[in-house]
Amino acid sequence: MKRYIAWLLLVLFLAAFGRNAAAEQKVVSILHVNDFHGFAEPYRPFGSEDFLGGIAALAFEVDRIRAQGPTLLVSAGDMIQGNNWANLFFGESVVELMNEMRFDAMALGNHEFDFGLDVLRKRISEAQFPVLGANVEGLDLIRPYVVKEIQGVRIAFIGLVTEDVPVTTHPRNVPGLSFLPVVSSVEKNLELLRGKADIVIVLSHIGHAADRDLAAKVTGLTAIIGGHSHTRVLQPVVINNTIVLQAWEHGKALGRLDLYVEDLKVVRAEGRLIDIRPLPETPDTAVTRLVKKYSERVDARLDEPVGEALVDLDGENVRSRETNLGNFITDIIRKTAMTDAAIIGGGSIRTSIKKGKILMKHVYAVSPFNNYVVGVRLTGRQIREALEHGLSAIEDGAGRFPQVSGMSFAYSRTAAVGARIRDLTIAGRPAEADREYTVATDDFLAAGGDGYKAFGEAVRSSKDFTNVGGTLKGEKLVYSNSGKWERDVIIDYIREVKQVSPVVEGRIREVKD
Amino acid sequence: MKVEVNDCAVSLFPPMTTVRHALLTAGLMEEVEAGGKVYDEWGNEAGLDGSLQEGAKLYVR
Repeated sequence: MKRYIAWLLLVLFLAAFGRNAAAEQKVVSILHVNDFHGFAEPYRPFGSEDFLGGIAALAFEVDRIRAQGPTLLVSAGDMIQGNNWANLFFGESVVELMNEMRFDAMALGNHEFDFGLDVLRKRISEAQFPVLGANVEGLDLIRPYVVKEIQGVRIAFIGLVTEDVPVTTHPRNVPGLSFLPVVSSVEKNLELLRGKADIVIVLSHIGHAADRDLAAKVTGLTAIIGGHSHTRVLQPVVINNTIVLQAWEHGKALGRLDLYVEDLKVVRAEGRLIDIRPLPETPDTAVTRLVKKYSERVDARLDEPVGEALVDLDGENVRSRETNLGNFITDIIRKTAMTDAAIIGGGSIRTSIKKGKILMKHVYAVSPFNNYVVGVRLTGRQIREALEHGLSAIEDGAGRFPQVSGMSFAYSRTAAVGARIRDLTIAGRPAEADREYTVATDDFLAAGGDGYKAFGEAVRSSKDFTNVGGTLKGEKLVYSNSGKWERDVIIDYIREVKQVSPVVEGRIREVKD
Repeated sequence: MKVEVNDCAVSLFPPMTTVRHALLTAGLMEEVEAGGKVYDEWGNEAGLDGSLQEGAKLYVR
């Protein structure tokens, strides 16, 4: 009886002790960023008066929160490509930065593939944190998930990337890889994590709308920390007991998710964004030194010669007449897209290059926009319509004035708008209205920039898009490479040929009626 | 891909399916240049380089 009472007391004591211990509330902070795209320095966003972001300020905030309690720092992808600070080093600068900031995990984003698989493998091997992609098959070095134990709580992060990667990067960057459906990928890994994790969080690079859909379809996730849609989620939504978050873009916000945990279960989750603004005074930290180091290297790289111009390259008159620089650039994009012809808006060429050494920064000044090359199948009629649009505001010096390759035409500026073109030839022969030609341009014009409609109307009539020979092709879309800016295509070409001496050769001739 | 910008239907084609491409197609980039911001159907601000999904609804204000 005594032994029985002693056992009973022990059991009651342990139960009470255990309950007290388990009832202790722990708070874990998950800090998150997404779609950083190498924006290490503060910048003034399009249409904004103020400078925002700056990774030094973000790192300062991370350190401040870390000093307050248990914290993990994660990324939802698209870190290593975008800004010069990243691109000029193929993302090495960003991985070094993330190592310095002690990231705990990162999901692959679609733009992580933009430099090709060899570079991506190198970046992953340099990372001192796990790189996750649960729905990616065929890429070694990545993991579907990672479990981090903090304060005795096991938190799993499952990585996801959009299934559209072969569409959003150039298909040759993802040979042999498969991108599986996200819902079944998460369900599979949730099953694998049973008994291995107390809390499961998805680091998702599939976009906010898809995150909400995922939360509705999969039960058992504490949070989905998103990216891809660059969404500034100020007030996180809870769907099917899953809190859905995203921290905007370019390091302009730091996401903070505070998890209140009792008995290894989340009893409360609070998410919010912390705005990141440039620090009034730059502290001397490892991160600020690293930002400065690579910024100085950016400047040095931009001063590097890439070739030589044997003549002045005219970017001043691109809104009013044919220029040799317009010819030069359109020739390059025509060769790149392997099309019959090319058209760009003169306004996309921002300055001239003087005869002599061509430095990288000269090309960046000529082509400062993040535009990429696309190739579209147009009829002769659509090409004429596009050119007529390009000539419709010559009097105003509008940026829509065309620069062309693989074609020539005459025009009368005094003729009525829409009827200014004379003698349009393509590939040396008179243009045929109903014949289809392939035409290279940039995504700005193709999407309707400067009022151009012909490209969009043509591609929208495509019935399907497929991968042919490693290139995304639709019935009307014959080329695209969204992972390489037009300026870098130009630089590659100049490096290859070393010397350039384009001429004005009568592609665009003004005539009097 | 079909999306809506300010309640008007806009067709996009891959890979040109970002917020920026939707605004270019809708002719609304100048409003953003003048300080307008872009929001999704749930009232979240969207970055210009953000990717869109089928059926997305954007509002510039």
